[in-house]
Amino acid sequence: MSFDEPIITFDNVWKKYSKSGIFHRSLREDVMRIFSLKQDNLKLAGNEFWALKNISFQIFKGQTLGLYGPNGAGKSTILKLMSDITYPNKGSISVQESVAPLIAMGAGFHFDLSGRENIYVNGAILKMKIKEINKKMESIIKFSGIEEFIDMPVKNYSSGMHLRLAFSIAIHSEASIYLFDEIIGSGGDEEFRKKCFDKIFELKEKKKTIVLVSHDMEVLKNFSNRILFLNKGEITSEEVL
Amino acid sequence: MIKLFYKFLKYYKDYRDLYFILIWKQFSVRYKQAILGVVWAVIQPLSLMGIFTLVFSRIMPVKISTLPQPIFFYSGLLPWAFFSSSVNYSIPSLVSNYDLIRKIYFPREILPIAGIAIAFIDFMIAAVIFIILLFLYHIPITWCALYFLPLVALLLLFTISFCLILTVVNVYYRDVQLAINFLLQLWFFATPIFYPIGMIPAKYKFFIYLNPLCFIIDSIRKSVIGGAPISPYAFLFMFCYAIILFVISFNFFRIAERKFADVL
Repeated sequence: MSFDEPIITFDNVWKKYSKSGIFHRSLREDVMRIFSLKQDNLKLAGNEFWALKNISFQIFKGQTLGLYGPNGAGKSTILKLMSDITYPNKGSISVQESVAPLIAMGAGFHFDLSGRENIYVNGAILKMKIKEINKKMESIIKFSGIEEFIDMPVKNYSSGMHLRLAFSIAIHSEASIYLFDEIIGSGGDEEFRKKCFDKIFELKEKKKTIVLVSHDMEVLKNFSNRILFLNKGEITSEEVL
Repeated sequence: MIKLFYKFLKYYKDYRDLYFILIWKQFSVRYKQAILGVVWAVIQPLSLMGIFTLVFSRIMPVKISTLPQPIFFYSGLLPWAFFSSSVNYSIPSLVSNYDLIRKIYFPREILPIAGIAIAFIDFMIAAVIFIILLFLYHIPITWCALYFLPLVALLLLFTISFCLILTVVNVYYRDVQLAINFLLQLWFFATPIFYPIGMIPAKYKFFIYLNPLCFIIDSIRKSVIGGAPISPYAFLFMFCYAIILFVISFNFFRIAERKFADVL
């Protein structure tokens, strides 16, 4: 791949969500929907809203993009779309290389299993092979800094220990794009925070592509090449650093 | 065809480890604080076998078949236990893992299929008991017993198709989860588990063939216990039926899958 080809492209992406907490619509409506060939994707039903409105941007290899905005601006939705968890209602998204969604920290942790067993579960969910996990096991445990508790059930972990283990596994997954969702600054003590920042710098040096979501402008300015300001599903402005 | 095969190989290579880990996880979590452990796998079919034998030989003596009653009941209960526990494990699998589905991408069918795999492990343990029972009752084992293997493959195909569809529907309408115990109960009585297929009146025969469990259970009795071969035409018919159902349910799952993260 040439260097100036975008690694992630969002092209006029629209995404709607339903406001009602639970999915609810009538059976009749569902049956009608099957028979109607054309679906008007850009129309909102009564309880729906646009989480993203006509979003377009590109990210190039090795860049770090920051996403900044108030709650509900659509930052996490963008990360979800990048990692294939959900799909746009209109527009297209192309992601050229493998993604490590660090929004999935601790996904699949089972509280009755020990830390070590959970490394296997979470690691496999993060697309690691068993061999690979075996190889990285020592390094994961070491980075987490909870060596003494690694064989204890996770239900007895403090929230900080939980976070350390989850972050440590996530950071060991191999990909060329890393997505961080508001992990820095939430939980974790000063020492671990620094460790995380060092790790992000290390990824930057390895020319990995990073997308960072944070409420902390200081953090974003430290790492990003470019910051997108989002509000109510739209890009309001952009800052190149 | 070759392309499809390559696709399957790639899929297998990419997700084999995830399947393995998720199955191992569920298996070890389930038996973590259970004293009886894997004995639970055989408790359900064995105890039902005991009850049926008691009812139909002591309380309400009926001559059901020429086979020894415990063997007759167990041969029906064995596939049934697999089917019903697959349904019970897989249907809530997407809903209870919503956290995972909203956080990361992986082929969603892994969750219900891992549930079915757990039920299959139980099935294999229970099948060992079946073999022991065959010896205990001096049933002569002939080469026809080998029909058991394709019948199990058929059972697996049907179970996976059926579970995939119900699992998807349950994402949208949780009614499935509420109704399933009741439905399984009805299904249990509509399947020749504690009565032979021959007792069903001819005018209902059509429904019998809609319910693949009837064919599977009846054929296990005929071939493994009775030592008789199964009609290859009936087998071919059921096999085509299973494949069609499987393709439909898998594609249905694949289409619905894209919306799971939004709906859950």
